Amino acid sequence: MSAAPIPLNSGGKELLNPPSDGISNLRFSNHSDYLLVSSWDKTVRLYDANANLLKGEFLHGGPVLDCCFHDDSSGFSAGADHTVRRYVFSSGKEDILGRHDAPVRCIEYSYAAGQVITGSWDKTLKCWDPRGASGPENTLVGTYQQPERVYSLSLVGNKLVVATAGRHINVYDLRNMSQPEQRRESSLKYQTRCVRCYPNGTGFALSSVEGRVAMEFFDMSEAAQTKKYAFKCHRKSDNGRDIVYPVNAMAFHPIYGTFATGGCDGYVNVWDGINKKRLYQYSKYPTSIAALSFSRDGRLLAVASSYTFEEGDIPHEPDAIFIRSVNEVEVKPKPKTLAAPS
Amino acid sequence: MNELHKDYLLRLERACGPLLQQLQVIWDEIGESLADREKIFKDLEHECVEAHQIKLDKASHLRAHLRQSIADAEAEVAAICSAMGERLVNNTQINQKDGSLKSEVSAIVPLLEEMRNRRAERIGQFLEVTEQIRKITNEIRPAGCNQSEITFDESELTTRKLEELHKELQSLQKEKSERLKMVMGQLKNLNSLCIVLGLEFEKMVAEVHPTLDEGEESKNISDDVVDRLASTIQRLREVKLQRMKKLQNLATSLLELWDLMDVPIEEQQLFQNITRNVAASEHELNEINILSVGFLKSAEVEVSRLENLKARKGKDIVLKKKFELEELRQKTHLLPEDGEINFAFEAVEAGALSYSLLMEQIDNQISLVKEDVLSRKDILEKVEKWLNACEEENWLEEYSKDENRYNAGRGAHLALKRAEKARAIVNKIPAMLQNLSDKVTMWERERRKVFTYDGVSLHLMFEKYNVHKMEKAQELERQKEQKKLHRLRVAEQEIRYGSKPSPSKCQNSRKGRGSIAPRKRLSLGGAQSAPPRPDDPQRKKLTPSAKKTSDRLFFSPGKRSAYCSPSPTKLRFNDSTPHQPELPRQPFSQLPHPNNVISAPPKMISGDNSASRTPILMPVHMQVGPTSYLTPVKHQLESINAPDQVIEYSFEESRLACYLAAQN
Repeated sequence: MSAAPIPLNSGGKELLNPPSDGISNLRFSNHSDYLLVSSWDKTVRLYDANANLLKGEFLHGGPVLDCCFHDDSSGFSAGADHTVRRYVFSSGKEDILGRHDAPVRCIEYSYAAGQVITGSWDKTLKCWDPRGASGPENTLVGTYQQPERVYSLSLVGNKLVVATAGRHINVYDLRNMSQPEQRRESSLKYQTRCVRCYPNGTGFALSSVEGRVAMEFFDMSEAAQTKKYAFKCHRKSDNGRDIVYPVNAMAFHPIYGTFATGGCDGYVNVWDGINKKRLYQYSKYPTSIAALSFSRDGRLLAVASSYTFEEGDIPHEPDAIFIRSVNEVEVKPKPKTLAAPS
Repeated sequence: MNELHKDYLLRLERACGPLLQQLQVIWDEIGESLADREKIFKDLEHECVEAHQIKLDKASHLRAHLRQSIADAEAEVAAICSAMGERLVNNTQINQKDGSLKSEVSAIVPLLEEMRNRRAERIGQFLEVTEQIRKITNEIRPAGCNQSEITFDESELTTRKLEELHKELQSLQKEKSERLKMVMGQLKNLNSLCIVLGLEFEKMVAEVHPTLDEGEESKNISDDVVDRLASTIQRLREVKLQRMKKLQNLATSLLELWDLMDVPIEEQQLFQNITRNVAASEHELNEINILSVGFLKSAEVEVSRLENLKARKGKDIVLKKKFELEELRQKTHLLPEDGEINFAFEAVEAGALSYSLLMEQIDNQISLVKEDVLSRKDILEKVEKWLNACEEENWLEEYSKDENRYNAGRGAHLALKRAEKARAIVNKIPAMLQNLSDKVTMWERERRKVFTYDGVSLHLMFEKYNVHKMEKAQELERQKEQKKLHRLRVAEQEIRYGSKPSPSKCQNSRKGRGSIAPRKRLSLGGAQSAPPRPDDPQRKKLTPSAKKTSDRLFFSPGKRSAYCSPSPTKLRFNDSTPHQPELPRQPFSQLPHPNNVISAPPKMISGDNSASRTPILMPVHMQVGPTSYLTPVKHQLESINAPDQVIEYSFEESRLACYLAAQN
């Protein structure tokens, strides 16, 4: 560690026993303050965020690229070894739900459909029914071809948004996966980094590697499309030129609908999408922000500070997870008449 | 009344008395004898009585005559009344009225007169009606009617009969008018037919009957004429149908010829009105002169002109067909058989063969080849598959020889995937070949000829392939032997000298030549390092963190361009060096990015960051298999400078590549 130590409190409480290699994603449970963390050290870890305790650790076949909860008792993970695994936390049992032909990049669980959805670099999306016995013959519900490798997924209600390489965006209705409901192109001109749907189900936010976030809407009518916009963020100005950082992660506050973005500049910003204002910027984290997650009540924000290899294989700060308590002032939207704190 | 004859007798006595006295005097004078006097008085008496008797007879005659007249008159009146269907007037009334015959007569005569008049009138009416009936009947069916029948019975003059006759007349009139209408209709038909056929209406009509051309009233509408009219119309209709058929035949011929000889649109339009009607029904052809002799003739002329043209263009058409035949042959990998056709051309020139015959022959050949195509299709498809598999086999061989294929790099995972697939295919080749060979044998047996593929017998091709494979296998055996020997030698050396020759030296000596070296099969990890090319600004050597020594530079030229991304795909936006302004936004191209800012946060810097470095991405695709990802296969890359192949990778993909490389 070459940098000056960051005061423990400013970034939030640092979790003990973090993964030993990069953190690919972290998620709070919908039912409690348990945090599931997937990492490049091939493990999937379960933490009790409040108690700051490691509750469980599961070994994958290779680097784990994504994870999600099923409910508080089980979760799923997507690995670079092409497998989709399921874990039962209480018993520590795990099994393979299915496989892809290439590393599985994203995984989501849809409560509405009762299915696990995975996106992979083999350019397919697969839906799995976790209630079946293990083995792809029993659990695979469908395979849906995508135009390119899947980079990010997000669900809200019955809508599924898939972001792939080549800036393709497919919007599906989970009830009818045979065809995407909409085939779109990202309105950002650079590689899509992350896609997240608004909690109110009207649209989704896209972030790119070029320090920009686009706010899009599902409704393709003229009226709705006028509301869409994009804004620059996670940039640094230097001698009149902008240094632009990829925006790796986004997370929506479950109550206020505002959202936080995390970039390779190590900052987390909170934005009010409706009033188009930045609400807050947290102090800088040791390294790139790899993942963000709000707890179910929006009172905690988990921040994964983990180098995301945007500059290749270089020495970097150790990977850490910070849990911060969220103050209302940081996330509550402010109508346009009031100035936002800088 | 009785007084009259008494008066008469008195007057007579008075008149005759004096006469008689005179007579007595005279007699006395004469001295007539009494006998003579009595005789003269007897004669006188006799004469008187006779004179009275004559008067009496006369009166009696008159009485009889009158009676007769009355009776006659009465009878006549009765007859008339009965004939006219009227009730008899009561004569007895008259009788009783006056009592004397003369009065009766005077009564009955006017009555008779009246009845006679009425009768005459009635007869007149009848006459009129029957005359009209006769006239119309005459018009309608003159031949068959018997004129004498159109009379009436004079004893039947009742109004009822008259009405009957009137009705008959009406019906006849109706019939007449209907017939007239029909005739008019027929005439119209005839007219339209004449128009279509280009005939003169007047002449046709006159043929039937001259009066038909005149005004309505004077037309002859007898059965005979109507029949003739109908038959004329039928005849003309037949002519129309005939000509229509002919025209449509000509139209189809025209269309065929146009199609065959690519006649230009302008010429086609001249005869558009023919071809337009090629499928018309009888009723649709009603334009002026469309079926006239002249029009048909012009169509015939055009068709024959085109036929002549066709004959002249015969050669071209035959050539075209020949070309078609060739193409078909080629598609099914049959060799073209030029000789026959050329010979045929000479024959035509010499006049021994006509072009149409030749065309037929070629058409036959074409259909034969088409049949052949069908039968060969299945086998040909399999042959294609086999050829593709052979190609993949060859590629795989080349690929296996390449040293650098295990190096993680751009497009590497795609090559890996291809190699996997290729291996699977190669395994299937023997079975495929066997199956194919069997099919070919069966086909050949059925048709009793050799299945050729572009002139070469398929069986021969299979043979060659098998032989080649055997030779390769033998070669491999030989090489294995050699390696074994070499290893033994090395071991000997070690025993003798105590050390192995350094691997890097021996590897480097073979580097770049792509020969098969046994060590390549092992994970290469840190054992090898290819010398970087320092002059290439884009391909800078990475300085990894201290624990990672493997490097990721690869230069062997790739054979397949699809697998690698040439330009640095890492997006780096720190444009501290001024020569890189923001590029115009091209959605799918990557921004080539310049170098790290040295003033980046200190955490990022490692030892020699003064060198500008542009990271190069090395995505690695892992083999399928549960644990196989742990032995990554490195693969070839194309020269990174190829500018038009841009594949983007995400940070995770490149990180995975590094990760896997680091595993070794």
